[in-house]
Amino acid sequence: MKPRNIEPPRLADRLLEWFVAPHRLESLQGDLHEEFAYQVQRIGEQRAKWRYWQDVLGFIRPSFAIKRDASVNQYLSPALANPAMIRNYFRTAWRNLAKNKFYSFINISGLTIGLAVGILILLWVQDELSFDRFHTQSSSIYRLENWAGTGSSRQIWTTTVAPIAGFAKRETPEVKDAVRLAGNYAYTLFKYKGKTINENKTFFTDPALFSVFDFKLIQGNPAKPFSDDHSIVLTETTAKRYFGNENPVGKVLAANDNTTFTVSGIVRDFPKNSSIKGDMFLPISLFFRNLYEGNKDGKNKDNDFSQFRYETYLLLQPNTSVASLATKLRTIHLRNKPDDTDLTYLLQALPDMHLYKADGTEGGIETVRMFSIIALLILAIACINYVNLSTARSLLRSKEVSMRKIVGAARSQLFVQFLVETTLLFSLAAALALGLLYALLPLYNQLSGKELALNFGDYQIWQIIGLTIIGTLAASSIYPAILLSSFEPLKALKGKVSARLSEASFRKVLVVVQFAVSVILIAGTFIINNQLQYIRSKELGYDKTHVFAFFMRDMGKHYDAVKADLLNQPGVAAVTRAGGNIVQLGGQTGDNEWDGKEQGETMMMHTVAIDKDFIPFFNMKLQHGANFTGAVADSLHFILNETAVKAARLENPIGKRFRLWKHNGTIIGVVKDFHFASMKQKIEPAIFYYEPRDLGAIYIKTTGKEAEHAIASAQKSWKQYNADFPFEFSFLDDVFTNLYKTEQQTGLLFTIFSSIAILISCLGLFGLAAYTAQVRTREIGVRKVLGASVTSVIQLLAKDFIQLVLIAIVIAVPLAWWAMSVWLEDFAYRIDIEWWMFAIAGLLALAIALLTVSFQSIKAALMNPVRSLRSE
Amino acid sequence: MKRTYLGEFEEIVLLTVAVLEGQAYGVALTHEIIEQTGRSVRLNQIHAALQRLEDKGMVKSEMGEPTAERGGRRKRLFTVTAYGRRTLQEIQEVRVSLWSRLVNPFKPVTSL
Repeated sequence: MKPRNIEPPRLADRLLEWFVAPHRLESLQGDLHEEFAYQVQRIGEQRAKWRYWQDVLGFIRPSFAIKRDASVNQYLSPALANPAMIRNYFRTAWRNLAKNKFYSFINISGLTIGLAVGILILLWVQDELSFDRFHTQSSSIYRLENWAGTGSSRQIWTTTVAPIAGFAKRETPEVKDAVRLAGNYAYTLFKYKGKTINENKTFFTDPALFSVFDFKLIQGNPAKPFSDDHSIVLTETTAKRYFGNENPVGKVLAANDNTTFTVSGIVRDFPKNSSIKGDMFLPISLFFRNLYEGNKDGKNKDNDFSQFRYETYLLLQPNTSVASLATKLRTIHLRNKPDDTDLTYLLQALPDMHLYKADGTEGGIETVRMFSIIALLILAIACINYVNLSTARSLLRSKEVSMRKIVGAARSQLFVQFLVETTLLFSLAAALALGLLYALLPLYNQLSGKELALNFGDYQIWQIIGLTIIGTLAASSIYPAILLSSFEPLKALKGKVSARLSEASFRKVLVVVQFAVSVILIAGTFIINNQLQYIRSKELGYDKTHVFAFFMRDMGKHYDAVKADLLNQPGVAAVTRAGGNIVQLGGQTGDNEWDGKEQGETMMMHTVAIDKDFIPFFNMKLQHGANFTGAVADSLHFILNETAVKAARLENPIGKRFRLWKHNGTIIGVVKDFHFASMKQKIEPAIFYYEPRDLGAIYIKTTGKEAEHAIASAQKSWKQYNADFPFEFSFLDDVFTNLYKTEQQTGLLFTIFSSIAILISCLGLFGLAAYTAQVRTREIGVRKVLGASVTSVIQLLAKDFIQLVLIAIVIAVPLAWWAMSVWLEDFAYRIDIEWWMFAIAGLLALAIALLTVSFQSIKAALMNPVRSLRSE
Repeated sequence: MKRTYLGEFEEIVLLTVAVLEGQAYGVALTHEIIEQTGRSVRLNQIHAALQRLEDKGMVKSEMGEPTAERGGRRKRLFTVTAYGRRTLQEIQEVRVSLWSRLVNPFKPVTSL
């Protein structure tokens, strides 16, 4: 049997045929095929094919591509690299830009805006992604968290118990080291030589904070940062605040209760992209001493498994199984506190802390992804503009190209010529974009709440800027260059070139893509802003207008006098107090019991101590039962919210037995559900209890107009009792607004970015419309002479574009619908997506397109036909 | 000496062209050189060397006969020009004269 005829790889052959100079091709290809046949015999088909590829790639070198033998024609040197030729490329490119000022302007401005905004967004994205990755050991550091509770009240805590860190280090070999951080509420005022500063970013911590993380001590002993329990480590900036330029180490700070601390170390300021930040650090051993010393119930730092207040970070061995470590930690916990059966441990990687929620689901990463996509879309729109305009206008240049070809230009030379033209235009745009970037950065930082800086020493910034510009350049220059250099001279000179269908339809596809993106962005903007409007205006279940609040400190001891005094002041409408902030309730407990509670069931509920006039003060509605009266018996009375009643499955709750902590009492009322957290969360169970000792926060309702007076009176009263402390208060409206700060920022940025995307698309459309009108000048002239009305001419010109925009809308609506449903899922309370939102977005896009196109169309339609017909 | 510089690899290729006497083309040269020198030589290197040699005027080429395994394509057959032959000879003479002036010729490795 004759052996099967094995062919060498077709693609490799094509590459060779395309690349190698024709006069060499025959013998080279012959040699290659002969060698291939020989290799098939020797090493088999597969490896021979592989070798063939290698051989062909070996021929991809300039010396094999040069057209004629140097010995035959010694006057022709490689034209691509000839300096005269290069100069010529730049000269023609510049002339072309200068000649078509209108199109150059549209192209450059579109690209400049696109590049500047694209880079801005990508800088933001890069900053977000860089969070917590600067530690050398960041990939082996994990935060220890707990799941607690059962059923619908199951929740995650990012702080855990103190002893688990020690147990983990001793009993699990995977854990190399552990760092705990506990918030400091004991020492708030620090004094040095008559300077008193209120510090609220102070933490108690393990010394390992400075060795596990890359928080380097500039001064002090990294092995022993705290020399005793009364040592303190400050950041550089904090130290400057107290000591100016003096050497801070060894200086003594006095805290509010006259405890003194000696500065034992200075740590470099925390990077902006660190999730862990603080100003002052105290040894955690002091915290334990304050907490447990003289404690009679036998609890200490090594056995107290009930205080979940320590942020704990574990440094693990490489390749540790996180899940099995979590199980081991749970076993340790249950061994020490067997009744915590509902508790499980989990670990979150340090670099994930910023962009993912504590339970590992997506958090900020969604915004990062959304913004990256927007950046790419804006860049794509800018590229499309360029491609469309230059290919459309290429038809006008077909004659130039043909002349060049006839005179002897090779395709590769033309290709390079157009590439140089694009590069020149791009360099201009890139330079302008960098300038724009520089100018916009402060404004952008303000809008996005970032502190980005164009630090040109940072290679990552260059990486982003460079990649963006090169990527955009490549995406938008290659196609037009190929197209332009491909014209066949004879056809082009005869004027037949414009009929090529494929290019025009490619352009149409690009316009559709551009407008589909615009419609999606418009619809997105619309829905995001509607949702933000919705959460801000949704009925909260209480009235927070004109109310400001603050923690009373020592004023609390004289509350009744203070209240009586304040009520007599102008501007004060009402006064009440409570244990926490109603806009965002903090503390929760699962230490409760009621009739019908099942074995092993836990209901986590938010607890707030309130005064008897709290409910009327905030206009809350009691669904059933009665309010507290202020009687002694009220300490055993509870008011639940509707959600708590539902979660506990209580029917007729009034008068039922309920235990909170050690208080065995009864339910006397049910308050209508109210929002005490962000709208992203469902309303959770909450309980009001009456305990005057816990009522640390005062709420003052002003009449609105005379708010200034009310604040001044409150401040006077504050000074009377808390002379040392600065008076800090906040209006509930502001606290509420702050809850949605990130959403507001996202919404605002989204709006701005989509407007820019639309603006760039319009620039492109404007250019295309102008071009169409220009090409059809004579046609319009003839039509008008024959009696066409202005309206019909406008219709004629606008029709094509409107069709494209309509197609874009049809494509965009489902995509936008899908994307926005995903975004809305994040909110527990959200608007429904309605069809009219898309209708408005579509109409808006259509209107913008129409406006853009009609300007040119009307101009063309109004032109005097005599002129346009005489023009040639 | 005022002759064109010839690289070591070019010299081998040129010599092999001479050895093959009229039957020298890409594939044959490659195989012959692999066999004789044991180097792993690829087609493109041979062709590049031949191109350089042709530029220098040491070989000339003409198209030969097509064969089936080449897909009906003709070979380019190379022959050494007079200039090439003279260059080879000069190289040889330089080497011989240098070797003859060697006072203590290297002993074979086996005698160590």
